[in-house]
Amino acid sequence: MKYSAMLVAAGVLSAGTAFAQGAPIKIGVLYPLTGGGAVYGAPALVGHQMAIEELNAKGGIMGRKVESLERDDKLNPATASSTMKELITKDKVDIVLGGLASSVGLAMTEVSKQEKVVYISTIPKSIQITTDKLHKYVFRTSANTDQEGEAMAILAGKNKLAKICHLELDYAYGNDLEAGILKAMPKYAPDAKIVLTLKPKLGATDFNPFIPQVMAAGCDGVLSGLWGPHFVSWVKQAAPLGFFNKIKWISGGEVGSHEIAGELKGEYPDNVISNTYELWYKGNDPSHKEFQEKLAKKLNTQETPQWAALGYIGVMYAAAAMEKAKSTDPDKVAEALEGLSIGTPVGTLTIDAKTHQANIGQFWGPMVKKPDRAYRMMEPAEYIQPK
Amino acid sequence: MTLTMFTLNAFYGLALAMNMFIIASGLNLIFGVLRVINFAHGMFYMFGAYIVFTVAKTWGAPFFVGVLAAGAALAVIAFAIERLLLRHLYDKEHLMQLLFTFAIVLLMSDAAKMIWGTDQYSVGYPPGLGGAVNLGFVMLPQYQLFLCVVGPLIAVAMWFVVDRTRWGRVVRAATQDREMLAALGVNVPMVYAAVFTIGSALAGVGGALAAPRIALVPGMDATIINECFIIVIIGGLGNMWGSFLGALAFGFVVQFGTVLAPNWQDVLPYLLMLAVLIIRPWGLLGRPETGH
Repeated sequence: MKYSAMLVAAGVLSAGTAFAQGAPIKIGVLYPLTGGGAVYGAPALVGHQMAIEELNAKGGIMGRKVESLERDDKLNPATASSTMKELITKDKVDIVLGGLASSVGLAMTEVSKQEKVVYISTIPKSIQITTDKLHKYVFRTSANTDQEGEAMAILAGKNKLAKICHLELDYAYGNDLEAGILKAMPKYAPDAKIVLTLKPKLGATDFNPFIPQVMAAGCDGVLSGLWGPHFVSWVKQAAPLGFFNKIKWISGGEVGSHEIAGELKGEYPDNVISNTYELWYKGNDPSHKEFQEKLAKKLNTQETPQWAALGYIGVMYAAAAMEKAKSTDPDKVAEALEGLSIGTPVGTLTIDAKTHQANIGQFWGPMVKKPDRAYRMMEPAEYIQPK
Repeated sequence: MTLTMFTLNAFYGLALAMNMFIIASGLNLIFGVLRVINFAHGMFYMFGAYIVFTVAKTWGAPFFVGVLAAGAALAVIAFAIERLLLRHLYDKEHLMQLLFTFAIVLLMSDAAKMIWGTDQYSVGYPPGLGGAVNLGFVMLPQYQLFLCVVGPLIAVAMWFVVDRTRWGRVVRAATQDREMLAALGVNVPMVYAAVFTIGSALAGVGGALAAPRIALVPGMDATIINECFIIVIIGGLGNMWGSFLGALAFGFVVQFGTVLAPNWQDVLPYLLMLAVLIIRPWGLLGRPETGH
């Protein structure tokens, strides 16, 4: 009796320790899942979930199951702040990932600082996150506005633009991208002159007040930060006037992604050169094929969105850092992230120990018609990675 | 500003005004008769745009079939909402009605997510309306010209129905004294249902007509409802020609204002509304509330 009771007690004890070892690691994530931002937030979350599933199939992080706590930031910095605080204080997450809008990324950076919890910015590009607002616990695995601005300046130079019209959305991302472009222009496009700068508001659908001004300014090229729906609305309103016949449109904001090309199809205009993080039809790393096939199966379409890769990479970085730190302690995880290199579907990335910025690149290239496709494709797509 | 630019901006202002009028007129009609502030109107607009996408792009039907389908679908949805739910709330306080229409917004936004997902969509211009007309000194996009024709047509049609037909007289009477109207043997609940249906169908048609010029994304209902309220308030609640004037004021102020003072683009419509409300609290063509 005594012996068996001891066995039971031992069993309970070992179950207890097993439970402690098995307590799941909680990863909190915020993406816009309703409203206009959901267009990108939803596919980013798919990539995020795919990474979590893969981790759990391999036995989790440090042998512990991974639990994903997913929240909607509604593309709103205030919502993001309060939701992230709740994730940290109430749900006790070990790390927070995500954000889409730069304004949201900046708000999350602030919460991460106050609460001393690691935040990996997976999409927000505002340079401030890794400069003015940089602190111990914030890291970025997406590109930033300085890199994007530099690539755009290089393209302006390569295309020999002389008179440039500059279009940016009037919020954190647009203003920071403008600064990034202006910083790089003297070096890469010294002969180009910006003759007009216009800043429509974030969420604008009517660009008619701006289109005639650009057409009248006599620019040979436009540098644009109009992303997603802004670009689509601009195209729809400007194309009937023959806008894209004469003007080279060099654009950040990933309007070279398949999401935009596949949606606009025949309406996608000529003369657009743009960027994307990932292309389902072109990889720059051997692991891309496997990643893309998995994603295609999950989404039930061959033509997968680029945003999934960013959600995926964020989780992979979180996992790698915890494995390296052998801990979920924010200080140790933050230290582990500094200088950490991991293999991703877009190649091996390294997070700079000083700036906390990953050296993720982007594909850049002209969007061309293909005889056998209903949509345009980026060709040639050049992968530009910061040194 | 050169003559070319002035003409172009004036034209764009007019086109914007006409598109907005089509949407706002429905909201205004519903408020005028039912005295219900319908927050779901923007969502009806979004559904109209998404339906024209499904019918015209996914199913390959002609664009204008899609526009009619959008109007018809919204009429059916609105009729069901009015008959099953809204009619129980006419005697309740305004706050209840507001909460109810807001609940409809949330329900429909989730329904839209289930039907169409969160992708971004685009609808092509109908054939023959995707180019521009060259007037020599200025190019005008055909589709916007088309909107400039449709807007006034709808205004005249509404004026004719409301001011010149028997049914219109009944509707106007319903805004004055519905107990008396019921005593005279008119089926007032059906008048209400019809008005809500027609007003909502206009939102659907407005959304469908707006679809070719913009990107269709979840959340496109949110800005439009604010703008519709501004137009209706400027024009005078319940007054159809008021809404027409309000839409014109809105279109020109937004277009010229954004060109001349781009930093003010966010607040321009609100400044316009403020200015009108200070001078005429009951709107341009509205009448001061006398109370019942």
